[in-house]
Amino acid sequence: MSAVSLDAVTVRIGSRTLLDALTLEVAEREHLLVVGPSGSGKTTLLRTIAGLASPNAGAVSLFGTKASDGARVLVPAERRRIGFLFQNGALWPHMSAARQIEFVLEHAGVSARERARRASELLEWVELRGFEQRLPATLSGGEAQRVALARALAVEPKLLLLDEPLGPLDCELRSALLAKLGELQQRLGLTVVHVTHAPDEARAIATRTLRLRAGRIEDER
Amino acid sequence: MSRPLVLLAAALFALLGLAPLALMAARVTPEDLSALFTSDAAPLLGRTALYGLGVAALALLLGVPFGFLTARTDMPLASVLRPLGVVPLFLPPMMLAMVWTAVAEMRGAPAAYFVSALSTFPLVAVFAARAFERIDARLEDAARLAGGTRAVLRATLPLALPPALCGACLAFVFTINDFSVPDYVSWLGLPKFSVYADSIYATWRIDARAGRAVAMALPLIALTLLTLVPALALRRRGALASVVPDFRSSAPIALGPWRWPAFVFCAGLLAVGAFVPLGRLLWEAGGGHKGWSSSELATAFSLALERSRGDVRNSVVSALATASACVVLGLVLGHALERSRRARALEPWLVLPLAVPAVLFGIGIVVLWNREATAALYDSDALVSVLLTGRFVVFAALISSGAVAALDPSLEDAARMAGVGPLQRLARIVAPALRSSLAGGFVLVFVLSLRELDATLFVPAANHTAMFRIFNQIHFGRDAFVAALALLLVFLIVLPGLLWSLFARKRLELLP
Repeated sequence: MSAVSLDAVTVRIGSRTLLDALTLEVAEREHLLVVGPSGSGKTTLLRTIAGLASPNAGAVSLFGTKASDGARVLVPAERRRIGFLFQNGALWPHMSAARQIEFVLEHAGVSARERARRASELLEWVELRGFEQRLPATLSGGEAQRVALARALAVEPKLLLLDEPLGPLDCELRSALLAKLGELQQRLGLTVVHVTHAPDEARAIATRTLRLRAGRIEDER
Repeated sequence: MSRPLVLLAAALFALLGLAPLALMAARVTPEDLSALFTSDAAPLLGRTALYGLGVAALALLLGVPFGFLTARTDMPLASVLRPLGVVPLFLPPMMLAMVWTAVAEMRGAPAAYFVSALSTFPLVAVFAARAFERIDARLEDAARLAGGTRAVLRATLPLALPPALCGACLAFVFTINDFSVPDYVSWLGLPKFSVYADSIYATWRIDARAGRAVAMALPLIALTLLTLVPALALRRRGALASVVPDFRSSAPIALGPWRWPAFVFCAGLLAVGAFVPLGRLLWEAGGGHKGWSSSELATAFSLALERSRGDVRNSVVSALATASACVVLGLVLGHALERSRRARALEPWLVLPLAVPAVLFGIGIVVLWNREATAALYDSDALVSVLLTGRFVVFAALISSGAVAALDPSLEDAARMAGVGPLQRLARIVAPALRSSLAGGFVLVFVLSLRELDATLFVPAANHTAMFRIFNQIHFGRDAFVAALALLLVFLIVLPGLLWSLFARKRLELLP
């Protein structure tokens, strides 16, 4: 069974076609790298899988369940249980590191005590013990990205979407975060769809690379 | 920025805005202060504070949904309703009181609460709208993945609330210092609604003792400052503090079946706050109860122009001069506030003229300039601009400082490296980059100057303005002439904003 299946998915905004009848299968536990020039549809692909962008045509299935059919949403974004690591982290500026994670768990129906335990466990795993009460403005780029990774993993997703997660980081932090991602995939058996501008760095942990251009698959290896 | 230029601007501000207050404060005697404790000031202050809180709460209740719906949703005509949302703020509150007391037979406290809430909800709405549109799309997406629309609202509301609360603080300050609305609704008959600003006005009218009026105003000044300090702190918090360099704006939220109810709410609010008052004035100008006709309307307008041409001209000229002076002074002060740590200490002083009841500021102008050496200025129309510049320059300065905060300092550094001097940098690098904020400051000060009444009441030179003429005339009865003059004033008030909307490509920045 595929983790992600896109069947002739088209996404348009006005007269602009962002994804053009794209068909794609991502196997379970695969780490798919998606590369391509700016405006090629990489982020739109992730947003479509997550349910944040609505396709105009085509179907999206996740782990064998149809999530959207044409413009009709069958499983809304919040019920797809997908982890999404946004570019720049997208941390809520008024919430502490621990609260970022607890907020997600709260909406997943997790009890208050369990939320606090899981938040501290996740922060420890990303090597940020002691950072629980720190606000995003007081974190470095690497720390913020690790908090965002911990938040993305809070709901124990089977599918993790990464939108240029290494973008704002320096070389050393990139290597550290990549190592963390590799370890994570091994340990949890995650499926990862990873959009990047730096394919060379991520190729070591990727199982396949896809090149997009103008909303279509140009190359695959 | 060159230090002499900042010092010159600060000295000018001290003369126009602080000297009238310093002179007034110097006249307070211990006897004046003790009179404060024996008068009925405490209950009056309590009632005024309650009035301000009630109006601020209503402004929040109306302004936050209005701002959210017009800025972030797919509500029909949202882009048209959003700029129209400031019109009730631009209308003189006394004009809204004139209309709604006539239309709904409202009197006393309910009329004052209703009119002031209508007049101030746009303050909250504009802050909330800007905050909602400045929340990065990815923050919303992250929340949507966590828990759908409910999580989006829970994650984004706290980001929009601080700026909205800043608007509510300003609504509170405007309300507790306003004299015209409580005065008008009380003048109509029982039940009276006395507020603190009334008593300051009455104190000066009875014995013209500046010290007594200042002592009387002290509790209100303290209350205003206590509100303005958090307002200044809140204005760049929440969403307005979280703009990232690669900011991504969110797509409008689909309201589904709630699109039209949302439209009815927003359009209804604008109807009550602007269209009904303007329609009523148009009806009154055209004959009203005696029967409406276009010829009556034309007659009323020509009468208004004929009798008040001088007043209207004075109003426009002084408002233009004030707005121009405030923009220039505000640019220098605002730039210094943002770029120099030392100049930041100026901020509390800048808001002081606004923290003082307008009636008292007017009295301060009389005390400062009514002397032999300055008789020529005191008797001239220029005194109106002197008065209004001292009081309103804070708006231009804060709008400029907000815009400078968003301006990359390296633009100025590059010019400096190229040998461009401080004045040239300000004029040729900073000012062009800030043009929509400078225009916003100009329009805001122009509007506030045209609609100002309280500060001008005791200043003889300011008694020849359109607003003062309306105030005088309504106490002798409402007729087609008053309605036509009021409409003429409204037209002049909205004209600059209208011209900007029609011909400029950028949105007018009205917020600090």
